This record gives sequence, C-alpha cells and structure tokens, in this order.
Amino acid sequence: MMKLLTILVTLLSLTACYESAEVTLHEPGVYKGKTDKHALAAEEREQILKKRFLHVQTDR
Amino acid sequence: MARMKFLCDAERCIECNACVTACKNEHEVPWGINRRRVVTLDDGLPGEKSISVACMHCSDAPCQAVCPVDCFYTTDDGVVLHDKDICIGCGYCFYACPFGAPQYAQDGAFGARGKMDKCTFCAGGPEEDHSHEELDKYGRNRLAEGKLPLCAEMCSTKSLLAGDGDVVADLFRNRVVRREGRPEVWGWNTAYKD
Repeated sequence: MMKLLTILVTLLSLTACYESAEVTLHEPGVYKGKTDKHALAAEEREQILKKRFLHVQTDR
Repeated sequence: MARMKFLCDAERCIECNACVTACKNEHEVPWGINRRRVVTLDDGLPGEKSISVACMHCSDAPCQAVCPVDCFYTTDDGVVLHDKDICIGCGYCFYACPFGAPQYAQDGAFGARGKMDKCTFCAGGPEEDHSHEELDKYGRNRLAEGKLPLCAEMCSTKSLLAGDGDVVADLFRNRVVRREGRPEVWGWNTAYKD
C-alpha cells in the first residue's frame, strides 16, 4: 500500500514539471508615429544605392 | 523592393573599431551609447574572430512586435526605424532584441533612462529629411543623400558590407568561392592580387 502511494505521489509530482513548449508570438501593432516622407520613389532609391554599393564597397 | 542588410565578414574583420568610431562621429551619438560594437570571440587565442554588430534591421523585427506604443516602422528599403517622440523608453525592445541593439541615453536631472536609440542604417528618422530635428534625434540621413552607412563605406578591409541584401549576398558568395575554404586574412593571394 505504501509503495503504491509513493508511486502515485511521484507520478503526481512529475506531472507538475510539465512545461508548455508553445512559443507566444506577438504580431507588430500599427505604427502610431509620424510618416517618414522621401523625396525619391523606392525604386529610384534602390537603383541609386545599388550603384553606390558597386562603386564603394566591392572588392578591388 | 530592396531590403537593406548588414553583413560582417569574420575572416576579414581586424577589430580596428573604426566602424564604431565612424558611427559615433557621423551621428554625434551621446556619451554612453554605442550604436555599433565589435565583438571578439576567443580573444588572444589562435583563430580568434571578430564581428561588428549593430541593429540588423530584421525582416520580422521582434522590437517592433513587443513595442507597447507602436513606435517602430519598416521603410520601403527594409530599414527598421522608430519615432522618438512617442517612444517611452520602457526597455521592452532591449529584452526582445537578440543583438542588444537598443540603447538608452541618460536623460533628466537624475540620469534616468531616456528614449531608445539605435542604428538607423544612416537613414535618419520620421522627421523631415536633413532637418535639424532629424539630425538631433537620429543623426545624419545618408540614404537620402544617395550614400550607404558610413561604418561599411569606410571599412578598410571591406569586412563590413551594407546594402541591398541580394547585392551583398552576391559579393559575399564570390568571396567564399575565391577563398576555396582557406582564410583570406593573410597569404600570397592577399598581398599580391593580380
């Protein structure tokens, strides 16, 4: 009887050790600050910056 | 659409900290704040490696997800920026960031934690381009001038690269193929390139 009780208590205490492996994911909220305006369109900026990269940062 | 990214080539970084100095000087970063830092592994041992780390402008930025006042935004160039006017300096973004990028300047009479400051990829902030407000709060806006981040542009060993992720990846891929598995920091091919 005592042995059975020990096993039961051990099992119950082990179930308390369970930890959920699910990750809580947070989605970003809607930006509430000022709008960042640019003089050039994104496509234009992309071309300018690509040209700059190839001019300055490539291996010589 | 371009996605701006940093890449630090650990085989080339010589831990000169010039990127850190250039960033601090270009943006007049206040005392106690480093938007960029050089991390060295196995310092002083054979095979030590250094990399320069700042905000990596994550595509799915955790700082943006945890911000309680939603002050973060991602520009069309893929740069993660924030509005200091609504930032409350709570520090959530610091806990969320895996790179330790968010920094907090001391503010007020008792040196309390101020608004968050981090690398802007030299893209300024939501203020008008090249205005005094933008310069004071976020630093220079080099992207609006058609330039890339100064830390990368002045890197003497071309270890730190900054630009459109696709272009950076192409360049790095070519380097790795040329190395053929050997380190590139010294040797005949480095000193006497054809």
